[in-house]
Amino acid sequence: MGADPDEELVRRIGAGDPAAVQAMVARKLPRILALAARMLGDAAEAEDVAQETFVRIWRHASSWRRGHARFDTWIHRVALNLCYDRLRRRREWTTDELPEVADDAPLPDAMPGDEERRVGQALQRLAPRQREAIVLVYYQELSNIEAAGAMQVSVDALESLLARGRRALQAMLAGDCDE
Amino acid sequence: MDAGRFAALADAYGSALHRWPPAEQAAAMLFAETERGRAILARAGRLDAMLDRHRVEAASPGLHRAIVARAATEVSQKRRRRFWWLGFGLAGVGVAGAVAGLALVTVVSPDIQADHYVMDANTTSFGDAGPDADQAEEDL
Repeated sequence: MGADPDEELVRRIGAGDPAAVQAMVARKLPRILALAARMLGDAAEAEDVAQETFVRIWRHASSWRRGHARFDTWIHRVALNLCYDRLRRRREWTTDELPEVADDAPLPDAMPGDEERRVGQALQRLAPRQREAIVLVYYQELSNIEAAGAMQVSVDALESLLARGRRALQAMLAGDCDE
Repeated sequence: MDAGRFAALADAYGSALHRWPPAEQAAAMLFAETERGRAILARAGRLDAMLDRHRVEAASPGLHRAIVARAATEVSQKRRRRFWWLGFGLAGVGVAGAVAGLALVTVVSPDIQADHYVMDANTTSFGDAGPDADQAEEDL
């Protein structure tokens, strides 16, 4: 594992450097906000998750030590946990009953210019773990090892979630993908 | 790399080889030059093109400011907590010193005890039966 590009910034935040705080927000807020928005499908809730994630960063920066995971992977895990807390609160499922199968019925035909919204809908209809895998690897561009680490699964399990998720998306967006 | 593994990786990671596992990228690049490889990547690329259309709103300046302001609050609270813990620590050290000093004094200078106890004539097993006891006997 190479050097962690965030390590120095985290150390400066722990020492109370205001410039480091600004730099960390500029560097990580877009990533955390995008992660939460795609996991939750709700911009306002995504902002709340981003704020809560940063509160944890400020609280733990001085004691954070690089262990097995990079700082970026750690904050992804923190943000994902906060997303799951909110998804559970919506009572879409209970802790022990995470749906494993996506509802992959094709979405209604797209109106011109409607593709972005349809992709958003399709992502929300995925099983949460499949959505999480696709968001981490495709949109957040985490490596397979980092994504598997953030999800606390093996790389094989990650690949299985990715493949099932992409197949489900393909089925839902069937007409759009053929264009 | 055979076609089966190449297709499995494209199914999982999509058509952009930079998302594929680093250890398999070199072999995948060679297979991607084949006709079969190109067809697999083209199929995966159609879904990628759809996924790329999904954008999320950029962070507002207000959100950025709120997060930075919260950092200042957290840092000052942490400093205050550290100050209180320092105070508690110093007080604890003081109390521990007092207890240790007391214990030392007790050990070094124990109570002076008589080497032996002289049994008094008026002493009974119920205590000292002093002058009152004599008076009681006379009253009988």
